[in-house]
Amino acid sequence: MSGAPPDPRPAPALRHPGAPLDIRGYACPLTYVKTRIALERLRAGEVLEVWLREGEPAESVPRSAEEDGHRVVAVEPLLAPGGGYRVLVEKGVGTGGGRWP
Amino acid sequence: MSLSDRTALVIGAGGVGGPALLTLAAGGVGRLVVVESDVVETSNLARQPLFKEADVGARKAAAAAARLRALFPSVAIDAHDGRFDAANALDLVRAADVVVDGSDNFATKFLVNDAAMRARRPLVHAGVLRTTAQLLTIAPTGIGGCLRCLFEAPPPPGSVPSCAEAGVLGATAELAGALAGAEALRLLAGERGAYEGRLFTFEARSARGRLVLVRRRVGCPACAGTQPLESTAAAACEVSSSRPGSAA
Amino acid sequence: MALTDDRIARYARQLLVPGFGEEAQEQLGRSRVRVVGADGVASAALVTLVQSGIGKLWIEDHEDVAPADVEGWLYPPSAVGSPRAEAARAVLAPMSRFVSVEAYPTGGVPTATLVLAPSTAQAVASAEAARRAGIPHVVAEADGDGGAVISVPPGAPCYACARSTAGAGRPPQPGIAALAALAAEELVLMIAFPGTIPGRRLDLVRGVTTLRATTRLPGCVCAGATPAAV
Repeated sequence: MSGAPPDPRPAPALRHPGAPLDIRGYACPLTYVKTRIALERLRAGEVLEVWLREGEPAESVPRSAEEDGHRVVAVEPLLAPGGGYRVLVEKGVGTGGGRWP
Repeated sequence: MSLSDRTALVIGAGGVGGPALLTLAAGGVGRLVVVESDVVETSNLARQPLFKEADVGARKAAAAAARLRALFPSVAIDAHDGRFDAANALDLVRAADVVVDGSDNFATKFLVNDAAMRARRPLVHAGVLRTTAQLLTIAPTGIGGCLRCLFEAPPPPGSVPSCAEAGVLGATAELAGALAGAEALRLLAGERGAYEGRLFTFEARSARGRLVLVRRRVGCPACAGTQPLESTAAAACEVSSSRPGSAA
Repeated sequence: MALTDDRIARYARQLLVPGFGEEAQEQLGRSRVRVVGADGVASAALVTLVQSGIGKLWIEDHEDVAPADVEGWLYPPSAVGSPRAEAARAVLAPMSRFVSVEAYPTGGVPTATLVLAPSTAQAVASAEAARRAGIPHVVAEADGDGGAVISVPPGAPCYACARSTAGAGRPPQPGIAALAALAAEELVLMIAFPGTIPGRRLDLVRGVTTLRATTRLPGCVCAGATPAAV
């Protein structure tokens, strides 16, 4: 991302267009609704970073994303205040938002 | 024919229970018994017709009773703010002429099924998943199967379904509940149920309806009225089953 | 314009349906739905539409609440004798802060129409007006506790081609709420997914549906050039 400060984390070899989606304050199923909408707004191949609470959201959100045809690239502990998990999801090809299957 | 001396028990006052209650009340049922333990949330207002904006945060049982009494002052409304469980199941079911299951988890659905079979009361089971409405009527005197004949057992506790399975098109839920209410009215009028021994599913996008025979499973303990009544704690997430028909 | 957080929270369960995304909910939010007929039979349709998240609900009904209308989802006995459109608005508006509920404004151009008129003549006229304006519409015909729901997307065979001609249906019974909910559901699908629902007729008899595609009657005026979509 041009203009952004250098990222101390190893740069993923993936397109990572936006700020992380922090949904640690939401309850299921709102966690997945917001994730899904954020994924809809991306182009295929772009990556969404989602911050999730430990427990049910961290389990069900990645699984739901895969069922929707996206690829879960990473699930790792989140090193930010409040803790939780950091999940990277790559938007799948042919999973455009709003299309009736 | 007057239904003013009849009682309908409806489990849940939400997406399926709400429309069923409205339809039953509109049909002139004398008494409605509602069992509901939740609080009204904003997402409920996309499909649960008993509630309005000002009800968010209120106990569903109380809000449902208030709406029903305002619309149908001549119908007696008994609202139970609590769960349908093994302790109250038989008493509640025995006091009704028909039972409509609009609950949103399989543990309750199986308990309603077992109690209705034990008390020999007709039961209308209705559910919705995504864009599909599903209905099955279990008549104690019929030859059709019950929920246990259809599903054998609820999914193991602790099996977490995916959030995507919580998807429900609001209009489909209202349709499912209205169909359940209409079926309950048929049963109260002494007619044979349209879904007796036949599972009816309607998928909204394709607009296709299907009827699938549900036969009584030989040796089914629920049909024999001998299935022990068990309550299991509801799962933490609002969606507690990965099987069709669990959302309401 | 993206969905705000409060709308995401309201329509969360609908937004989780595969294929129903932000765009579908926004289509609903932009819609202006004219409903012709707001009696007890139509009541479940009005409630279902409001709860689905349409933008505007325009109620076209010039009658007063009749005693029979109390057998529905909207009208308490105290409303009998008062204008139906206003009595409906009084119950519907508090159900959703995202929907504007009004009497149909003269000259208003809806983006979708639902016809639940008790008279055949009114139903045919309202459907024809929608067809000529290129507006997707659904017409419901009551028959006992069921009836028929005819869906007419732009360019499809019209209501006059598909409607029942065997005479008026039996008087409506309270179970008819299911027919009204079905009609509302068809319209919701046509609004949320424009172009994906074909012209079709659903018959609801004793709680069970049968489906058939609608076909044009030879010589019907609807066989002319496809009206421009709104």
